[in-house]
Order: sequence, then structure tokens, then C-alpha cells
Amino acid sequence: MIGFAGMTHLGIVSSLAATAKGQSVVAFDPDAALVAGLAGGRFPIDEPGLDELRRAAGQRIRFTSRAADLASCDPVYVAPDIPTGDGGDSDLGPVRRLIEIVGAAAGRSTRVLLSQVPPGFTRAIDDPGLYYQVETLVFGRAVERALEPERFIVGCADPGRPLPVAYRAFLGAFGCPILTMRYESAELAKIAINCCLAASVTVANTLAELSERVGADWSDIAPTLRLDRRIGPHAYLTPGLGLSGGNIERDLATVARLADAAGTDAGAIRAILANSLHRKDWPLLRFGALSAGRTKDLRVALWGLAYKEHTHSTKNSPALAFLAGLGSAAVSAYDPLVRADPGFHPGIQQARDPLDACQDADALAILTPWPQFKTVAPQAIAAAMRGRFVLDPYRLLDPAACRAAGLEHHVLGAPELP
Amino acid sequence: MTMRHHQSPPAEPARVVLLGARGFIGSALARDLTRDGVPILALASADLDLSMPDAAAKLAGSLRPEDALLFLSALTPDKGRDLATFMRNLRMGEAVAGALQARPVAHAVYLSSDAVYPFDTGLVSETTPAAPIDLYGTMHRARELMLQQNVKGPLAILRSTLVYGAADTHNSYGANRFRRMAQKDRKITLGGKGEETRDHVLIDDVVAMIRAVLRHRSHGTLNLATGQSVTFDALARLVAGLFSPPAEVNHTDRQSPITHRHFDPAARRRAFPDFRFTPLAEGLARVHREAPIA
Repeated sequence: MIGFAGMTHLGIVSSLAATAKGQSVVAFDPDAALVAGLAGGRFPIDEPGLDELRRAAGQRIRFTSRAADLASCDPVYVAPDIPTGDGGDSDLGPVRRLIEIVGAAAGRSTRVLLSQVPPGFTRAIDDPGLYYQVETLVFGRAVERALEPERFIVGCADPGRPLPVAYRAFLGAFGCPILTMRYESAELAKIAINCCLAASVTVANTLAELSERVGADWSDIAPTLRLDRRIGPHAYLTPGLGLSGGNIERDLATVARLADAAGTDAGAIRAILANSLHRKDWPLLRFGALSAGRTKDLRVALWGLAYKEHTHSTKNSPALAFLAGLGSAAVSAYDPLVRADPGFHPGIQQARDPLDACQDADALAILTPWPQFKTVAPQAIAAAMRGRFVLDPYRLLDPAACRAAGLEHHVLGAPELP
Repeated sequence: MTMRHHQSPPAEPARVVLLGARGFIGSALARDLTRDGVPILALASADLDLSMPDAAAKLAGSLRPEDALLFLSALTPDKGRDLATFMRNLRMGEAVAGALQARPVAHAVYLSSDAVYPFDTGLVSETTPAAPIDLYGTMHRARELMLQQNVKGPLAILRSTLVYGAADTHNSYGANRFRRMAQKDRKITLGGKGEETRDHVLIDDVVAMIRAVLRHRSHGTLNLATGQSVTFDALARLVAGLFSPPAEVNHTDRQSPITHRHFDPAARRRAFPDFRFTPLAEGLARVHREAPIA
């Protein structure tokens, strides 16, 4: 039986993924109200495939707020949320507390820390029965990635010793490579993955911005890179509005901090952070150019408030950055999961649906790439709006259909076409 | 540091102490403030020489706690680029910083320069490290630090790029000199092919932005730039086209490397979302109308 402590986004998805591999699971969280909700089928997260996974789990998963129920589990995963501050710093207090709780309840079992921690954290716990396993949760694709991981990265106190039998057997059920290494290597591997992703998307963002100015279209260029074996078909080459969500930003800040302390160069990492802030302003700057001289009674339709699709999180959300510089406009906003909040903008109102948001709007900004936005017809948007400006950084709407509807369609990475 | 506003809703300052009141920007501001009935104490170098040893004490004696002090005084590069000019500018900064330490005011505003930025940084924002490459830029950076050390209340530092206007007293390379060249010779002669890009701000917009900063009692650093750069060649052609017949635009052999300057206007948009700069062509045409060419 496998134990999971911490019913976070990571903990919920990982525990249900374990049931999909035929395991019985005890899913613990000290929050009794949360546990009651989970037992009743009320999940605080939204992920494609999650409902199906829960139904398939049936009785193989038991939610509990009693830590003692973990005593019969081996291994026991520890997966609390690790709050991140605005400066990218992590609050490691919650993870320490949960490790202590689990240690007291299941001290004889193998315990596996699943939440991301900075290099040096796990060794400082000084517990040879504790392992650190790198999580690669991706919001919106969490179920898929939990069921079919590319590999497991396991940090150990002594990588020369074999993994405990029960732990190795559980990982083996996923049929992917298992890479064991020192704690510090595994902790830094997770950061390295995020740095590579950030570097890749920053290159895409940098060249997409240049494309906009020199008449190129980044959507023509990205496929040429994906066919290059040194870059690859899954490379992060889709331009976006900087880094959001907090995790990658935290890792970049961690590298900069560690490099400063160690006396190594982190200029490239700081450049990524600076470019992220710059690209987050794309909607604001493009909107500013569009709305020059037209500030009276401006009405803006906003689709999306979350930092990405399939999440409630607005951490570092481009939509909120846009609202912060919008000025005195009236805003009608719609997001499938996030309610319009006056704290986001004093003139914001909740719309019933995407087209309701567009009623009499001078401009539309689509700042979260929810898939359902793709299904709204540009003709209907044009009919609802009084203005023609559409900021669609992620190119959710069909450019040709937008042109046909008379909309001025602005996307990332492409020049403004007549 | 991003700009924060300390006065909401915005309101005019009780009084503006204007240092550098007879310069190109200072005189325009003085007119604007006076027109709107804002009390001002306008001081020029003839009234108070900030480079003199007793300047700090004299200035402090004129300050009231409710004042907004606007520090525009500087010996610009056309007055000299030598060490003596640099040191005199620093003494002026020392005097103002000293006076503000002795007699704090409600708000201080310093008009700095984009000369604090080097030319090899690409897109310039308020977070671009200030690394001046000449004494003029170093002087402005040093004054910024003097004021940041001595001013405990709200302090706005405005880093202005090239300013143009009909009453410009300087003759630095750009719109003002191009106008004079076109007027005098019916031709504008550029260095090289005028490939360098720069941002040009109309004096009216500089005045309006400073007024907005005063009304909001803003604190922090802001670049005073439109965010729209053009080449000197494009600028020259805009200016030349205002004359009838249009002035010629001539190119010469290039004597110096090509440098570019573009500003990221995001911080300004966040600080003043409803502020709009005058488009360059419109601004140049307005200047041309205000200073008609014979």
C-alpha cells in the first residue's frame, strides 16, 4: 500500500496515478475539511482526465486526516505545497512540518519527498530513510504526466545503495527509466529542467518579438526548429507572455541566489527573468499603441484571468499585469475558473460568457489560452463589439476568419498584417 | 524601482519651488504652473547660484514643509563637457541635497537624463542598470544618489531623453538643430546616413508628465520617453517636409559608430495609464507652427 501525505495538486494527482497502476493508496492530509471534500468527490483542482481517474480508482484510494493511517504504507510520499514569495523565495516550513508528521507516523517505511526543495534541503534532514523524487507536474497536463512519466529522478543519501524493494517495485510499474543520484543532484536536476524550459521559451519569445518587427512570422519558424534533432519536436518554442505560475521563476531566482553565493555566473538566468517581465507587458504595450488618443469611456473585454488554462491560479498572470496598467477603462471579464475581482481592476465586471464580455467593447484581450475560447466565432465577436481590436497573443482565433470579420487581430510573433 | 503614487486622488502641490526656472524646460513649466494658478517660487542661476558654497543654506531658508521642489538646474553638455563643468554640476547637486536634508519638503522631483544608461543595453527600461559612459551621465547618476540618500520623503527621478520644442535653447543633434539647419541652409546634414535610432519627446509632454508626477506626489524612477524611436534620417525627413519647398537631407561619411536607443514604456504606462505622448509628426508640426520659419 502506498501512502501520500499532502493533498495538494501534486498529491491528489500522484495518489490517483498510483491507483491507476493497481496500488491501494492511503491519501492523508491534516486538513479534515479538505479530506471530507475529497472523500465526497469534491476536488479543489481541475485537470483533464482527473474525474475519470477518480472513478476508476474506486475503493483503491482512501482519504484520511489521521496520520496514523499511513503506518501500514510503504513507501509514503510527502507532497505539501511550498509557498513561493514574490521574490521567488520558498517557505519551507510546511514541508518540514509534514516530514515530521509522516516520520512520526511511518518512520519505518521509506519516505519520499515529492515537493520541490532547494539543493541541500534533503540532506539537512539527515534521515537515510528519506528519498527525494523529482516531480514534473505540469498544470493542465498533470494526469497525463503522472501516468506516463518520461523518467524518475531519485535523490538518495547514498546513491551507491540500492533503492528499497517496495519503492523500486512501485516505480517499476510505470515502465520508465529510474535515475538515482545524490540528493543535491536530484534537487538541482529539477531546477535544471525548469531552466532549460525557460531558456527555450525565452529564445522563442525574443525571436517572436523580433519577428513582429522585421516582417517574419514565428509560427513559420518554430516548425523548422522542431525538425532539428538538436532541438526536438517537443521543445518549448511557442511564444508566450513571459513566465507565469511562480515555479519556474522561483527556480531561476534560486539559481541566481545560489550562483551569487557560490561565485558563479548567473547572467543568463537574470536575462531570462528580465525578458519574462518585458514580454508580460506585450498586451499592455500593444493595447497602448492601439488605444492612443481613444481613452474616453474605453470598454475592454477580457477573456482569461488565470495564468494559464485549467487552473485557478493567477500567480504572475499576464491578465493581471495587463489590468494593472489599463487605467480608467471599463473591463468585462470572463474566465472559466476565476471570478472577476475588483482587486484586479476597479472597473472590472463579471461577464456570463465570452460573448457577453464582448458586448459594446472597444477591444478584446484574450490572455489565457483556454481551449473553449477557440470555439467562439470571430464573426460573432465582431457583431458583439463596437471596436475592432483583438489582442490574441496565443493565436486562439483563426487569423483569416478574424480578417474576414473585419477584426484587427494581433498575435505574438507575427507582424501586423493589413 | 517602479513608480508609486503618494497622493490619491491627485492634487496640485501647495507650492512648487522650481530650480532652473529660466531654462528650456523650466520656463515652459513655470508658464504652465502659473497659468493654472499653482503657486511657484521660480529660481534661476541669477537668483541663486547653486554652485556657490552658501547655496544650500540659502535654498533651505526658502523651503517650506509643504513644498514640492523641482530640481531642473544643470549645465548641459553644450555648456561644457570638461571636469570643471562636471564638478560645478556636482556642487549644485550637493547644495540641493543638503538643503533637502536640512529642510525636508513634501515632494522632490529631479529631472535626470537618459545619459545615465550606456548604449549597448538594447531596450532600456527603468530596471536597466545605470552605467553612464561620460561625465554628464555620471553627474546625473551621482545627483540621483545624492538625493536618494538625503531625501526621506517621496522623490521622483525622471530620466529624460531628447526633448524638442520651439523655445529650445540648446543646439544638440536632433530635432532642434535640424530645424535650425533647415531654416538657415535649406538642408539638413546628417552624420553618416542617420541610421541611429533615438526617442524624441515634445516639451509639452515633458511639462504634462512632470505636472502629473507633481499631482500624484510620485516616488521612484521613470524614464521620460515615448517608447517610439526613429532614425535620425526619418526625423530629418519629417522636419524637412515641414518646409516649403522641403529641405534637402544630406548624408556624410560616418565618423562614429552607430548606436541605438529604444525605451520600454511599460513602467510609464503602469504609472500613468491614461497619459498619451504626442506622436512625433504631430509634435514637430506643432513646433513648426509655433516657431514659423521665415
